[in-house]
Amino acid sequence: MNKERFTMSDVTNFSLADFHYNDNPDVLSPPEDFESWINNPTVQRAFSFTGQQLLRAPSAETEILSNLDGKSRRMINMTSYNYLGLSTHPEVLQAAKEAVDKYGMSSSGAPLVSGTLDIHVKFAEQLAKLKGKEAAMIFSSGYGGNVGALQGLMRKGDVIVFDEKAHKSLIDGGILSGAKMLFFDHNDMTSLEQMLEKAKGKRTLICIEGVYSMDGDICKLPEIVELSERYNAPIYLDEAHSSLMFGENGGGIGEYFGMEDKIGINYGTLSKSFGGVGGFIATKANLITYLKGYASSWNFSCAPSPPVVAALTKALEVATRDSTLRDQLWSNTRYMKENLEAMGLDLGGTESQVIPIIIGASGERLFTFAEQMQLRGLFLQPIDYPAVPAHARRFRISVSSQFSRKDMDEALNIINDVIAKGLKK
Amino acid sequence: MTKAEVIEVIKKNIVENLDDVELDEIDVTKSMKDYGANSLDIIEVVSCSMRDLDIKIPRSELADIGDIDGLAEKFMQNIGDN
Repeated sequence: MNKERFTMSDVTNFSLADFHYNDNPDVLSPPEDFESWINNPTVQRAFSFTGQQLLRAPSAETEILSNLDGKSRRMINMTSYNYLGLSTHPEVLQAAKEAVDKYGMSSSGAPLVSGTLDIHVKFAEQLAKLKGKEAAMIFSSGYGGNVGALQGLMRKGDVIVFDEKAHKSLIDGGILSGAKMLFFDHNDMTSLEQMLEKAKGKRTLICIEGVYSMDGDICKLPEIVELSERYNAPIYLDEAHSSLMFGENGGGIGEYFGMEDKIGINYGTLSKSFGGVGGFIATKANLITYLKGYASSWNFSCAPSPPVVAALTKALEVATRDSTLRDQLWSNTRYMKENLEAMGLDLGGTESQVIPIIIGASGERLFTFAEQMQLRGLFLQPIDYPAVPAHARRFRISVSSQFSRKDMDEALNIINDVIAKGLKK
Repeated sequence: MTKAEVIEVIKKNIVENLDDVELDEIDVTKSMKDYGANSLDIIEVVSCSMRDLDIKIPRSELADIGDIDGLAEKFMQNIGDN
């Protein structure tokens, strides 16, 4: 590739979407133009936000070693997914410590051979109960859960119909499965019906998310259920950002709409509201039995770490014994939204604790605002293309039940000064 | 390189990447979606075509192109600069 081609358009118009193909004859080197691109000062500025080191737990307040100036700084943290504060909850931490003493650090085996502990079985039972399903299986990574479930379930000749905003883990699972993949316009029922018409006569699965991770909006479950039944295409519901938060008992979007029995497979991550790591699916017992043989990321990975599983079990108990954490999360979410809306900011269509602040097409503004906020003590990471559309770059607030009024007021003050006023200039 | 040649490269990649599409039936005033392409298929056709043509256009600049002819036109703008 001729490096001079960069003169044809601004080097900074390129993104990680553009270097997937590699023509470098040296297999062990990146594309030649990737080096030119990533070393460009403007691109380096964007990358300076990636991989910043947190020096303490990702709680409402944390300490971050800034890539901007090399200083450690106390920051209000509105970027981590610790929605219910469970990753630092004292009872959860105690459960993890006790499990280390009893079981050690690793289950030391894949689940089918030697890695299954009694705590894995018990936790899976609790997850199935949470989702109103017969059985569940636990994956050691959230990404691996979606990839394994779809790869294990679908085959060449089948069809998976995805909302166009489906997470990469769903897409990659679809690719690995060999099934034909169709996409419907986001939350657009006419578009979904068109795709289901195309898929008619084939084994078909509809893949949607409870809460969409970049927009915070909710799937239109009642309408999707109606189409699902009409076309005999079951629903796979990814509840990464909705489990433990939606529904009277924290059961998620299915419970929220009173439609748990209409969902074929319910997937969730254990890394967000649960405060741990991993993923799970819950569905019929006979399908779980089948998938244990075919979901490769499950049966060919070491079973999840004992302290993590014990902590997760306690986290689930804490989160569902009453609605205290959920209520606090929603109270904080309402407070943040009301104040952000009062500033005239574009929050998209959020209906959840994921609150985007959409700032438009300017990458320059995005990173300038991010820098200014961090220097003032607010950790709110920029979300750039290709993770979101180029015209809708944004910040994305992850509300936590741990936020105090003081935390929120300080953050809101910074957001008002930096973003709200900055957008008016 | 002529625009007709660019179109042939795009068509070749459409045929290679999409099921049940014949070279003769491709109408450049249509979108690849009209031939059953999903968003991943379109990315694949565009990437393979750019590779074949030895050009590179940021994907962010291709978002608003509606049909195959528009894609060829965009490619020509980059080829023509040399």
